[in-house]
Amino acid sequence: MTELSAVLALPAWGGAEVLAGAPGGVALRGVVLLEAPGQLDETAAVPALVVLTGASWRLAPAWQLDAVLRRAADAGARAVLLAGTDALPVPTRLLCTRLELCVVGADTPLLDLAAAAAVHLAAPEVASARAVLGVSRAVADGRVGTPAGLVGLCAELLGVPVALCDASGAVLHGDRALVVPRPSEPVAQRERTGAGTTAARPVLLPGLRGVQRWLVVRVPGDRGPAAVGPAEDVLAAAATAVAGWLAAERTAVERDARGRAALLTDVLRLTGEPSPELRQRAAAAGWPLAGWHVGVRIRTGSATDVAGLRAEAVRRSAEAGLQLVVAEQGDGWSGWWSTDRSPSAVEVRQLAERFRRLHDGLRQLTGCATGVGRPHQGPAGVARTLSEAADAALLAAGRPEQGRFLHVDQLGVAQTLLAWTRTETFEPAARSLLEPLLSDPSLVRTLAAYLDAESSLSETAAVLGVHRNTVAQRVTRIERLLRVSLSDHEQRLALQLACRAVGPGARSQDPSGPRGPAGL
Amino acid sequence: MRDPRDDGWDVRAVTAADVPALVRGADVLGSGGGGDARSAGLLFAHAVGSGAVPLLDPARATGHAVSFVGMVGAVSAFTEELPGGEEFARAVRAVERWTGERATALASIEAAGLNGLTALATAVSVDLPVVDVDLCGRALPRLEQFSLAVVDGALPPLALALPSGQVLVVEGGDGVRCERVVRAVLAAEGGWAAIATGPVRRAPWSGAGPVRTTRRCLQVGARLEALGPSATTEDVAVAAGGELLGAGRVVEVARRAGAGFGRGSACVRDQRTSALLRLEMENEYLVAFEDGAPVATTPDPLVVLERRSARVVACDRIRRGDDVVVLRLPAPSFWSRPGRTDRVAPRAFGLDLDPVLGERPDGTLW
Repeated sequence: MTELSAVLALPAWGGAEVLAGAPGGVALRGVVLLEAPGQLDETAAVPALVVLTGASWRLAPAWQLDAVLRRAADAGARAVLLAGTDALPVPTRLLCTRLELCVVGADTPLLDLAAAAAVHLAAPEVASARAVLGVSRAVADGRVGTPAGLVGLCAELLGVPVALCDASGAVLHGDRALVVPRPSEPVAQRERTGAGTTAARPVLLPGLRGVQRWLVVRVPGDRGPAAVGPAEDVLAAAATAVAGWLAAERTAVERDARGRAALLTDVLRLTGEPSPELRQRAAAAGWPLAGWHVGVRIRTGSATDVAGLRAEAVRRSAEAGLQLVVAEQGDGWSGWWSTDRSPSAVEVRQLAERFRRLHDGLRQLTGCATGVGRPHQGPAGVARTLSEAADAALLAAGRPEQGRFLHVDQLGVAQTLLAWTRTETFEPAARSLLEPLLSDPSLVRTLAAYLDAESSLSETAAVLGVHRNTVAQRVTRIERLLRVSLSDHEQRLALQLACRAVGPGARSQDPSGPRGPAGL
Repeated sequence: MRDPRDDGWDVRAVTAADVPALVRGADVLGSGGGGDARSAGLLFAHAVGSGAVPLLDPARATGHAVSFVGMVGAVSAFTEELPGGEEFARAVRAVERWTGERATALASIEAAGLNGLTALATAVSVDLPVVDVDLCGRALPRLEQFSLAVVDGALPPLALALPSGQVLVVEGGDGVRCERVVRAVLAAEGGWAAIATGPVRRAPWSGAGPVRTTRRCLQVGARLEALGPSATTEDVAVAAGGELLGAGRVVEVARRAGAGFGRGSACVRDQRTSALLRLEMENEYLVAFEDGAPVATTPDPLVVLERRSARVVACDRIRRGDDVVVLRLPAPSFWSRPGRTDRVAPRAFGLDLDPVLGERPDGTLW
């Protein structure tokens, strides 16, 4: 908005005089022409310059001028222009002060003044519209085809720093000094500081949760608050273009992901030598099938945008020192590391460390569970090591104490066997075995903890956070309800498997976690 | 509402002792106009001496043939060219001769301002009682605003006695025509005249005009007289029976020549709220604007009182710097009936505004 003092400084307003009130700080948005006071009720004069164009109001009785000024002020007017520069009566001047209304008089034709004021008041909007049009045309004509170019164009049009940031607020293009005010909120932001105003606009894609990018602009304080609106309009236009590019990028990513998932399915089905056609497809994708392979399975849960984060996963595996094949598979990624000769035990251990680093990096982003398989040779070895990795990932989901990361080498056969207890045939059997305990979940929990703790009452009590006498009572109750003796090795094995299948470790600890064996 | 007959008011003798209260009350109902009641008060006090004039309650005076008397014209001319004392009686006798009917009682054409006491003074000289009914209920400037003109569409025959000794009778024509003829005569001769209407019989009186205005003057006047020197602005408002519109200094008085007489406006800056109270006037205070918005209009009387003395400040006396209290009084109920307000509303005075009236307090008798 423009101030009345700026309007008074216009050349056309040279002969105008302030007759009442103070022009300082009077903000104006528009001009309203008024022939009769009744029109004010229909006109939103907020905050406007009201021009009394009708038959001279100065010749009317003072009360009529008072009344029209009062109605103008009630309708939201901040300034009134009328004909003549003779002094107003004292009470009218007092009234204007009281109504916070500035009255300006002029001997020149009022319509000329009104037109000059209207053009001046519209100037910021015209400039804003011009800038928005500049952005739209540049994108539509193809003169700007990259986010970097767009950011540059916006900065040039507005004459202020502009930047494009990712969801975390890191600057991708443009002025690196710009900071996103509150990147967690997916709505347009505006933050005023001593140096100026920072405005940020989120770039959102339909169907995807969360902000993809932020467009940020900083308007220096000396530009005035009126400059922020146009800058925000330009960001809005630019955000549409950025969203368009992101959507196109996204389509390409999804297409590649589908191709990789199909290729991976064929590789996993391998039991012997691959067909020449499969060899060609793998070679085209840059996937090594010969040599030794160590598989990794990263399960993120269905809520994660696996295709969108693939680049991030590849980047982080390079950071962890791993040259990996990475492919989207259901609710996560599968990948493998390959070498020409059989890796030594030391190499495998070092490799496992790198996989753990990769897992730790991705875990911050997605909350994933990761399993790593053993080295296997040849094209069929890819399927075998990935199968082991899938089993390990399944178990890792229920192992918060290990950071939800498991390497098959650390598991042993027994734990691999446990993974197979999550089958659809085993679970009903396990459920019927534990049936007498299911009405009281604390008993199942106690039984699982007791068996894991090798029948130590005190350790079970520590794990569950209850008194050891409580544990002792519960164990006695369990033995009575199940009609078993927990000192019997056969019974213990059966019950431990059953607990893993239906107990809290199976589902309740990780509701989004795996339910069956590796989902092949 | 109380029955007016219960409080001993059907016959009330008005004596010289009532003059101070009557004068103050009549000035209040003048709404800033109607002339200074003091000169009429002196006239009455001189005429009545130690005697008394019976003031009849209109509810009990239905059998009377009432002649309405009063002064018309410029009040300034009245005080410059004082009446000989016989003008009012001459007007009554003249209209009796013209109509061939004797008046059995007198009443005032407007029981406010100067005319608040002329009927009483005349009653002494013609030896008749006064009925407490009048044609305005406050001060109004023109004959067509008389209640009889509003109700009947025409006025009864009028006799004018000029201070120069001439007598005229005007009969026929509506209120507007009568007003035009009378003004023309006054402009040509002396500036003022005593006027008397032909005897009127009405039952009940309340349908033909405002009632008990003299009694209202006596009440309001007595309450104002009783105010002590420490009375607050609110005390003054209560005593005058009005609603406080503002109190403070007069910041400007602008008078202008125009179609009417005594046109202008006075602006008061309210001491407490700093609101600007503009009083638009033409002989009487007609409309009050607060910060440009109308808050009170005719026919409600608007009263300006000097703050210290609680004495009325008339339109022609108000000056910049006066410290005043501005009140709105309820108009007589006669004027609030449908079809009557228009005659006395702002547009009747050339002010393009809808009337803004205050509420009438319960239990008023006028």
